Amino acid sequence: MNRKHTIPPRAARWLLLRFLRNDLAEEVEGDLEEKFFAELKHQSSFKAKINYWYQVFHYLRPFAIRKNKFTAIYYDMYQNYFRISWRGLLRQKMYSAIKIGGLAIGVAACFLISLYVNDELSYDKNFTGENGPYRLVVEAEIDNGKTGRTVDFPAPATAALKNDFPEVEQAGRYLSSALFGADENEIRRSDRNENQHESGFVYFDQELLELLNLPVIAGNAKYALTEPNSIVITKRKAEKYFPGEDAVGKTFIINNNKKLFKVGAVIDDFPANSHLQFDFLMTLSGVEFWPGEQSWWMASNYQIYLTLKPGTDIQKTADKIKWGFIEKYYKPALVASGAVGFEKILNTAKFELQPMNEIYLDGSVYDGLPHSDIRFIWLFGAIAVFIVIIAGINFVNLSTARSANRAKEVGLRKAIGSHTSHLIKQFLTESFLFSLLAIVAGIIMAWLLLPYFNMLASKSLTFPWTVWWLVPGMLASALIIGILAGLYPAFYLSSFKPVNVLKGSVSKGSKSSATRSALVVFQFTTSIVLIISTVVIYRQMNYMLNKKLGFEKDQVLLLQGANTLGDKIPAFKSELLKLSQVQSVSVSDYLPVRGSKRDGNTFYNEGMEKIERGVAAQKWVVDADYIKTLGMKLVSGRDFNPDMTSDSASIIINQTMAGQLNLENPVGKVIQNWQKYTIIGVVEDFHFESMKENITPVCFVVGMSPSMILVKLRSENMREAIAGISNVWNKFSPNQAVRFNFLDERYKATYADVERTGGIFTTFAILAIIVACLGLLGLSAFMVEQRSKEISIRMILGASVRNVFRLLTQNFVLLVLISFVIAAPIAWMLMSKWLQDFIYKTDITWDIFVISGSCALMVALITVSYQAIRAALANPVTNLRSE
Amino acid sequence: MIETRLGEFEEVILLLTGILGEEAYSFKIAEEFESQTKRSVSIGAVHSTLNRLEEKGFLTSKVGNATAERGGRRKRIYTITAYGKRALESARDLRMSLYNQFPAFAGKVDFGFGGL
Repeated sequence: MNRKHTIPPRAARWLLLRFLRNDLAEEVEGDLEEKFFAELKHQSSFKAKINYWYQVFHYLRPFAIRKNKFTAIYYDMYQNYFRISWRGLLRQKMYSAIKIGGLAIGVAACFLISLYVNDELSYDKNFTGENGPYRLVVEAEIDNGKTGRTVDFPAPATAALKNDFPEVEQAGRYLSSALFGADENEIRRSDRNENQHESGFVYFDQELLELLNLPVIAGNAKYALTEPNSIVITKRKAEKYFPGEDAVGKTFIINNNKKLFKVGAVIDDFPANSHLQFDFLMTLSGVEFWPGEQSWWMASNYQIYLTLKPGTDIQKTADKIKWGFIEKYYKPALVASGAVGFEKILNTAKFELQPMNEIYLDGSVYDGLPHSDIRFIWLFGAIAVFIVIIAGINFVNLSTARSANRAKEVGLRKAIGSHTSHLIKQFLTESFLFSLLAIVAGIIMAWLLLPYFNMLASKSLTFPWTVWWLVPGMLASALIIGILAGLYPAFYLSSFKPVNVLKGSVSKGSKSSATRSALVVFQFTTSIVLIISTVVIYRQMNYMLNKKLGFEKDQVLLLQGANTLGDKIPAFKSELLKLSQVQSVSVSDYLPVRGSKRDGNTFYNEGMEKIERGVAAQKWVVDADYIKTLGMKLVSGRDFNPDMTSDSASIIINQTMAGQLNLENPVGKVIQNWQKYTIIGVVEDFHFESMKENITPVCFVVGMSPSMILVKLRSENMREAIAGISNVWNKFSPNQAVRFNFLDERYKATYADVERTGGIFTTFAILAIIVACLGLLGLSAFMVEQRSKEISIRMILGASVRNVFRLLTQNFVLLVLISFVIAAPIAWMLMSKWLQDFIYKTDITWDIFVISGSCALMVALITVSYQAIRAALANPVTNLRSE
Repeated sequence: MIETRLGEFEEVILLLTGILGEEAYSFKIAEEFESQTKRSVSIGAVHSTLNRLEEKGFLTSKVGNATAERGGRRKRIYTITAYGKRALESARDLRMSLYNQFPAFAGKVDFGFGGL
């Protein structure tokens, strides 16, 4: 190898000379070359070259780098821009505060909404994998022509899935209906006496545990639910019931039953953004709710999740499952039961495999789970953007309005030799500075407001201090907002002609008043739309809360967990009736409030079960005092009579059910499901589900459903009544704390989502109008400043305060009126759309528009009039003295 | 105000400049540093320190003569100034006084400074 002719790498030398100070070039190059040849003596030429590169990079030091003359100038200029901006900011405190404060509010709102939207979209991401899990969904005809999507399947469906379809890898079920003892229960450790009320009970397959990959903390994941009577609990419940102990292998008693549930495993809590929220997973192994239930295809109570083998086509598999189920199971079962007219329903049914991450956002499935509404997510996102735009408009408006004050500066800079492009840069720098300050302020504001926002949206969002994108994201959005908001003012201001400006002939900020007016109109249009929407949402909320429901929801106390009283219930009931504050008492788990216990049954007119399609109806097990306690009205027939033993085969139906059964005079007719019932009465239709749905058939039979006791109170002295009831309770059930709530509260809680939407709308409507008014305040202050001499002269010539006031406000009032004209139809369209969700709804009446419009007008007027009155009351001499 | 205290690295570089005399230029000092301390150092780092020491007034420099071995390029030779010597002395005195106060070393170890 000829080392004599090896030379230092050219590229490295070129690089060195690119950045090295000229006066150092000779000596450094010499040193490095000497080093290179010294290295070459005892190393390979490759290593020597690498070393040369290394040395070059180590010359990247401040002392050695050439100072670029141009960068230095740019640097100085930017420094100057920043300094000028900063001075301007401090000098014009009010305008700066409006610009920055408004934008900060906008940014805070936008940030909070982004957090919210991000959280809503993050549901079940942790479950979702390439091959599932999927949820099995079926879309089928409910009544004539209408279809609905449900997730309920019969018990043997999972076994069928795994036996008949090789595409299915794993399949598991859960059952969460209170009808079968899931949902809410009284529970205690088997070595304690005190019952605790818990919710989040569910029956669960071992295989579902596995296919959902629920993280097992303690115990064996493979056998957690394989044994009959085993139970899996979450970490938080393990810590609650077995603090400091190993929960696995311990036993629970549920509802005072003799059966012991043994803890098979402890799993991690379900994350807050999961559509599944359970705490006690009871095994389905060895469970059969009635003889033959586990192999019966005619009762659908289970929700099914499954995973597929890799590379399986999802839709094809769903279709295959549908036809497989129908041909092999549904049809034979239906034929055997003698049902008629099912072919069309079966053939038109659609099966879907729904990916986990779509479940939460899809509210169209009847699954009893909380859902978000993708439309609202979009809507909130849009509101966030609009608020930022409104704040940005303030920025543009105030910058252009105050152009007169900057005109001389622009003229001077141009006269000295500044280019238009330099000025544009200067103004963009300035708006970047403003937007950066606003964003920092906005983020801090968002952080401070987060607890309130969590309450409003009933979320538990945390501030993402630690995420990597926070700072870069803030800078990027400062840059984007700064440029967008600064672009128009920058071009506008930099286009001034120096000669005109320095002569003093630039009209004082009035040139762009058309643009400014348009922007103000935009701001107020948005605000008014939000105000109208808020009013309509609250109207609907009020409508739902105050509508005549068909039962009395006030002063009904609900005692819960009474099932543990067992056969002492009649005694307990009569003891309660002895209290002077108690009007009547009824024992029933079925409440006319959404989210209570429900069931599904099909009823036929007597002897028609093979001829007509039955009527799907709720069958509520109540006692003889139910109708009386809830203040329902009988339109015909009589109430149950506790003294008549024949009433065990009697039934009371609602009007809708009578209509669907085609009964003109229902009383005395016989209907049947498994057994025959004689109709003894018809109750007036009452609302027991959401106002978003029609009232459906429901009927009452007498029986025992003892976990809830309804107590109707006389209106006086609630506290005394509660104390009395608690006393009685403690006498009967000393080991279980009394637990109660009120029917009207529960009813109200079922509309929490509407209330939440209302709360969020109110907040953002207020924010929007505050930001818009901030802008108006700035504009009016500016206008008064500009016209102060004119006003003074007018006043000297005899104008009254009222004249001046009108002069200064009429323009703004006109703008708000124009906004209202634009906003009203938009809001009307939006809210009609929203109300379409409800069957029972309030009307959008003209007074809503009047209230909202005058509200906006008032606020705008108050904002403007502060400045106007100040101007009108000012002493003309002070303004005119100087000329 | 320029910081006049000596850092450890600065102190060693300053000493090496004194030791190498007429041969004290960036490359040689870096080589000497590596062979004496068994620590690796880049020429850039040494150069930067030399530059700083010169700014502080501990060193002066002049451009030397061209030699054939580096393609005829001249070197920058550094010389220690009287001020630099004084800085070294005070650094040594401080250390000696500290060593003498440390009971484990006091009077036992002679670092050879005494002969200077």
